[in-house]
Amino acid sequence: MAEEVPATTTTASFTPYVHSQTLTTHERAVSSIKFSSDGRFLASASADKTLRTYTINTDGDPIAEPGREFAGHEYGISDVAFSSDARFIASASDDKTLKLWDVETGSLIKTLIGHTNYAFCVNFNPQSNMIVSGSFDETVRIWDVTTGKCLKVLPAHSDPVTAVDFNRDGSLIVSSSYDGLCRIWDAGTGHCIKTLIDDENPPVSYVRFSPNGKFILVGTLDNTLRLWNISSAKFLKTYTCHVNSQYCVSSAFSVTNGKRIVSGSEDNCVYMWELNSRKLLQKLEGHTEPVMTVACHPTENLIASGSLDKSVKIWTQKKE
Amino acid sequence: MNAPIIDPLQGDFPEVIEEYLEHGVIKCVAFNHRGSLLAAGCADGGCVIFDFETRGIAKEIRDIDCSAAITSVSWSKYGHRLLVSAADKSLTLWDVSTGEKIARTILQQTPLQARLNPGLTSPSLCLACPLSSAPMIVDFDIDCTTLLPVAVPEMPDVLAPPQRSKCPESNPPFSPAAACFNKCGDLVYIGNSKGEILVIDYKSVRVLALVPVSGAAPVKNIVFSRNGQYLLTNSHDRTIRIYENLLPAKNVLKSLEDLGKNIDGIDDGVEKLKTVGSKCLTLFREFQDSVTKMHWKAPCFSGDGEWVVGGSACKGEHKIYIWDRAGHLVKILEGPKEALIDLAWHPVHPIIVSVSLAGLVYIWAKDYTENWSAFAPDFKELEENEEYVEREDEFDLIPETEKVKVLDVNEDEEVDIETVEKDAFSDSDTSVEELRYLPAEPIPDTNDQQDNLVESIKLVEGQISASPASEEAVQNGHGADHVLSPQGEELGDTRGKRKRKPSEKAMELQAEKAKPSKGSGRTVRAKSRAGIDQEIDDSVNDADDDDDDASYY
Repeated sequence: MAEEVPATTTTASFTPYVHSQTLTTHERAVSSIKFSSDGRFLASASADKTLRTYTINTDGDPIAEPGREFAGHEYGISDVAFSSDARFIASASDDKTLKLWDVETGSLIKTLIGHTNYAFCVNFNPQSNMIVSGSFDETVRIWDVTTGKCLKVLPAHSDPVTAVDFNRDGSLIVSSSYDGLCRIWDAGTGHCIKTLIDDENPPVSYVRFSPNGKFILVGTLDNTLRLWNISSAKFLKTYTCHVNSQYCVSSAFSVTNGKRIVSGSEDNCVYMWELNSRKLLQKLEGHTEPVMTVACHPTENLIASGSLDKSVKIWTQKKE
Repeated sequence: MNAPIIDPLQGDFPEVIEEYLEHGVIKCVAFNHRGSLLAAGCADGGCVIFDFETRGIAKEIRDIDCSAAITSVSWSKYGHRLLVSAADKSLTLWDVSTGEKIARTILQQTPLQARLNPGLTSPSLCLACPLSSAPMIVDFDIDCTTLLPVAVPEMPDVLAPPQRSKCPESNPPFSPAAACFNKCGDLVYIGNSKGEILVIDYKSVRVLALVPVSGAAPVKNIVFSRNGQYLLTNSHDRTIRIYENLLPAKNVLKSLEDLGKNIDGIDDGVEKLKTVGSKCLTLFREFQDSVTKMHWKAPCFSGDGEWVVGGSACKGEHKIYIWDRAGHLVKILEGPKEALIDLAWHPVHPIIVSVSLAGLVYIWAKDYTENWSAFAPDFKELEENEEYVEREDEFDLIPETEKVKVLDVNEDEEVDIETVEKDAFSDSDTSVEELRYLPAEPIPDTNDQQDNLVESIKLVEGQISASPASEEAVQNGHGADHVLSPQGEELGDTRGKRKRKPSEKAMELQAEKAKPSKGSGRTVRAKSRAGIDQEIDDSVNDADDDDDDASYY
């Protein structure tokens, strides 16, 4: 079905990814896709107001087996996140709420109410006792998983908050917004520690921490991805050639086989660059509409992508 | 880690009460190794573990048989076990993650303080200080207690005979001696009523060294700093003394033995011990409040050993004194007018936790002033007005300095996104899995709330289509919605359920009186709603009207 077309000469050691599976379980666009930290599950969120989980069998064929459907939101869902033990998933929806679901049974456990506009992004902390969420109401909220209470409301930005993420020990939160800023917050106290801004401030559509928490990957709506060093507040790497000027397209680090950056793009492809050399390694084609979200499996060479064409595609590395 | 970008004044001290925790009447508190969990012993015999980050309750540990007040709680080094001593003379060892009792033993007297051996991974050995007998080592595995010597006999024979549980009659009554383990748990330091610190090897029950405390007043508390470098004693003469620990961190026993051997020419037991003792500890500082001459309670070090904190033992006042290690009093924290009974400094953050007589746990933290330069990186905060000197070309149309914009970033440099620096807690042996957090168990929204939400959504849609079938579909929802099956349910059953539901909803409405009132009553069919609550209320009203169940209201 889909052919991978290496855009530039590939290094000898690079094995291209190939399309492995397409899942069309959603009835409307797929907005977010995540692997659980143990790699057993994949979750996808969609504008059709549902979440879906899939069991991942890395040696199996097909790799992803559709699991449960989670319905309950009144409006489309923008983001989904797994807890560290993959027992719970949290979803952020346009109905201004976040919902906490049990992965095993598919039942709704809690509804977190508090945002006054669309909830756009959500993430668990590594300890999974807190949830951070960003919203179109320009605030970032920290919630207690056990009681569902909102612990803190951070007056984070002056425009919709597009992404939030915890670092690996849960002590810092990074948030990004259409106002062009990325802010780093202390998760314990809720105080702003740093603001990262460049000379021009294009709207920031996505941000996440690197695995060691020292760098952040920032996607901006000027078709650029940058890797910033937090302590020096300077960006170190720039990745271009993809298209990202309209949607909040997510990107990810791929560390299972060489350090790479993977990102979705509005030209219907999934882009993969080598982290240090910034060389474009591969463009995965197959989607028929902008690719909104990508996720990398934590241990296997597996990439999942979700697109406006309502499908989720799984890509694996070609077996020799 | 985040150390480089966090304010370097981490070692600072708290200033104000941030919040308080309440759970029955709390008697004593203890932080785990990293300060992520706080264990609190209550007056009703139960022990509650707070998740310190969310300030919520992570676990409750309760022994059904025990209902006596808890006198002390102590964590094992890696946080897997919790030792609880209670007023009914019992010592109980709990497994934290499962909440199960591992062992329990009853002593002769109520232990005022009990500490687990900090050197072992899964310790079953602990040090207990009872009210009026010598401190003892309790071993849960072999279920035996060993009394430790509190005094060096004046005879040349240094070895005090090991005693079994019974307190011998020949010993005169004395005030409680304080004791603590050293950092690796091989030695026990005892402060006795004669104002001496004894260094004891508890395995062989021998006194290895003796350090006389100036003033010779009975020692009430003895505590090591977290890094094991400093020792603090609180004496009856209202003075807190800091000693520097001269012994090496590892192989302490061997060093002490060597020290003992190297001293020639002194045969007398006590003198020899004193000489060895002088090589173990040296007096560093003394703190006292010369004005009020108050007694101190629960003194301890800060996490990094930079600060010493002591609570005032005066009744009716909740004062906490903070000194820096050099001896200067830096702060007096005053709390509400309830006596202070316990104090703990967070191992990492500048946070103090104090327990008042009323059973509340007050959390003291720094009074934070917003760091504005964090919000805008080019924002510089000035201490005072500065004369602003313009650049020569500042108001030029095309300033010189802006013409040349060199991208001084070397984009080809290798960037490492994976290695993690060893964090500050490198004193922990990383081979052992530390219990840092208890898994969060979300409390499910009650079925009423869930059903309300679900039903309200479906009822709205049901009314729009105005068919009984779709109204039945509502009843499918108990939170676990997969696929709406309109024809799924029996008419009779759902009618029955429907009759019951409204009464619960009525109670929900009562509970939700605080919510903004639903002004626009009957416009249920208009889906554009601000709040879900309004939908519940409206749809409920509609449903009941349809059902003639107005009696439920």
